[in-house]
Amino acid sequence: MIPGRVVEIENLSFYYGAQRVLNNLSCGFAGHSICAVTGPSGSGKSTLLTTINRLWEEVDGARVEGVVKVLLDNMEIDLHESKIRLAQLRRKVGMVFQIPNPLPMSIYKNLTLPLRMAGIKNRDQQRQRVERVLQDAFLWPEVKMRLQSDARLLSGGQQQRLCIARAMILEPEILLLDEPTSSLDEGAVSEIENLLLNLKERCSLIMVSHDLEQVARIADSSVELVAGSLV
Amino acid sequence: MSRIYDFTLSLFAGVCGLLLIASVAVMLGFLVGQGGSVLGLKLIFGSTDFREIIDIILLRQVVINALWPALIGTFLLVFTALITALPLGLGVGVYLAEYAGKPAKVFFSLIFDLLAGVPSIVIGLFGFSVTIYLHSHFSDLMPCLLISGMSLALLVLPYLVRTTQSALEELPSALRVTSFALGAEKSSIILLVLLPQALPGIFSGIVLAIGRAAEDTAVIMLTGVVASAGIPRSIFDNYEALPFYIYHTASQFSNQHELQQGIGAALVLLIICTLLFTGAGLLRKKATHHFLYHSK
Amino acid sequence: MFLGRPLFTADFFNLFMSSVWAPDQHLFGILPFVCGTLAIVILSLLIAFPLSLGNAVLINLLLPQLPAKFLYRIVKLMTGIPTVIYGFVGISLLVPFLREWSASGSGMSLLSAALLLALLISPTMILVFVESFTAIPQPHLNAVAALGGNVRHKLIYTLLPGAKNGIMTGLLLAAGRALGDTMIALMVAGNATAMPESLFASVRTLTAHIALVMAADFDSTEFRTIFICGIILYLGTLILTLTLRVFNRNGSNADLERGLS
Repeated sequence: MIPGRVVEIENLSFYYGAQRVLNNLSCGFAGHSICAVTGPSGSGKSTLLTTINRLWEEVDGARVEGVVKVLLDNMEIDLHESKIRLAQLRRKVGMVFQIPNPLPMSIYKNLTLPLRMAGIKNRDQQRQRVERVLQDAFLWPEVKMRLQSDARLLSGGQQQRLCIARAMILEPEILLLDEPTSSLDEGAVSEIENLLLNLKERCSLIMVSHDLEQVARIADSSVELVAGSLV
Repeated sequence: MSRIYDFTLSLFAGVCGLLLIASVAVMLGFLVGQGGSVLGLKLIFGSTDFREIIDIILLRQVVINALWPALIGTFLLVFTALITALPLGLGVGVYLAEYAGKPAKVFFSLIFDLLAGVPSIVIGLFGFSVTIYLHSHFSDLMPCLLISGMSLALLVLPYLVRTTQSALEELPSALRVTSFALGAEKSSIILLVLLPQALPGIFSGIVLAIGRAAEDTAVIMLTGVVASAGIPRSIFDNYEALPFYIYHTASQFSNQHELQQGIGAALVLLIICTLLFTGAGLLRKKATHHFLYHSK
Repeated sequence: MFLGRPLFTADFFNLFMSSVWAPDQHLFGILPFVCGTLAIVILSLLIAFPLSLGNAVLINLLLPQLPAKFLYRIVKLMTGIPTVIYGFVGISLLVPFLREWSASGSGMSLLSAALLLALLISPTMILVFVESFTAIPQPHLNAVAALGGNVRHKLIYTLLPGAKNGIMTGLLLAAGRALGDTMIALMVAGNATAMPESLFASVRTLTAHIALVMAADFDSTEFRTIFICGIILYLGTLILTLTLRVFNRNGSNADLERGLS
């Protein structure tokens, strides 16, 4: 793997049933930076993201060919060969979706969920991490008095920041973002962009975005995907 | 540690699935294996001689030890039940879908929910009480085909009303709007436009009701079915029915042959019910398919 | 007209008054039968609930599309099997089997009835469970998966909490069906008139009692007891149906029972 990169993709093709969504792609993403993936709708950008955390496996009928390598804990891991468990992988490679998807529970529970699933049961530890991650997401002052209230009551922008916080709570090395701001209004967009810039030092961000101005604003590099192939 | 929980969950679920499938397989295997050989004209008519069979059908010859009377009985039963329940069920269904206001809908929905929840034997008991009441006050009425048919009608009424109502309510509103815009009377719209469109859904309800009436044993046990009565001469007679034949055989068979007859009967009932059930499902699918492709 | 259900109470009002506390030949009146009914209903629910939950998890979470659809179709078909058939197969297969296995009694017992009843009510329960699992929005499941959750996590943190209503509905529907079933209890539970003592004891349910006594003569006190049984059964299902409506605003007994919704 080329030094400086955290994700390397070689000859990747993705099939959904008989339909080919990704066409023999080869590319790489650098670490500690914001890499953007742009391109028209339907060109396979979101699908590309799901090959990095193997979320595509949740879908019946999806098939992958090629090599995807990820650098985690300073070790090179071949996603399709390695014995690494899915759960472990996804704790190191987090994901934020286009439409915020807080679970139907309190803000606090949303954040402790990944901790509980990872086996971190200590209440004090949980509380510390929740506060820390909410601070990092610039959300702490707004929600600290209502941690037990239902997460769905938050505004769109707040929900998305919550989802980012939730994805960050296990301290992943790579964060995948699928058009994180496309469902939000202007004010919320700039809040999130600021947040992402701050996260750069902690992890590597790979972001799908429609918005070329956004890419110009915050991305360090970008690749363009058209109809399943790199341009 | 959590791996063990995961494994246990999958194992448990798998076992559940296997148990279910195994039970069904055993049941089917038993019925088909033991009874498959008995299926045939002999089971139904008691003989394989075509001339005898025609005689039997024309009521010139009596059948003993075969399913024919039971089949006829079940058929007549279902017929009576439908004649009673259909007009009422469709009528109320149409009323609820097209004319009733919210409070009426809630009220009837409650009533029919309650009715649908009543155990079949209690409905049979009701039918029986009605018989006794009429017997002591009016004629010499005894439990008979008519009473059974009407009790069964009570049993299937909720299904008929519910499916008719849903079938009509699920019609695309565009259909109604265009018909009204053409200036037609409400009743003619219902008869000429809506009902025909809702027909597949309504039919699926009817087929379901038929199945339910054909398979029920508890109601008929209290209202007139007997083990051997031949073909009933009128609706005030006792009669035989397939599900009761099965029950009776099961509790009182004395030799292998009789048991096999019972198994054959069970197979026939199973086949009938499965066909009806799948038919209803297909009709229901056709109803939705219809709207996806034909609504303008 | 439809409220005529109470008709049979009114008609036999005097009966009602006279037989309520009649000791008659049966021990404690109809109490053994009430216990019999309760016993097989509770036991069959205890068996059917985990069985149905397991199958629903199998269909919605564990199995890939093709086997899942296959299992679902089989379950759907099962809802069309008449209870007499379960009773018949029970008598022919299960009863002799249990007779050998437990080396006690005739094999016709609480246990055999409960097992068959569980088989009868499970398909409906499975269908309701699957429907309520399917109603959980996919984004929730995606969130859990992306956070490193597996099947068990999805079940515990999204499906079960979200499907609470559906699970209650399934349980209540199944309970209603178990309560009101006649044929299985009649053919396989033994019909002895004593209080149920053990799993292998012969029991008689309210429903079976009604069916059995019908064959007796009119106008004996014994005969009148069947009306009390009927009233009790009616009240029982009344309570269940009303509770069901509380939990499930839009569904209905008729639809759900036939897997139509």
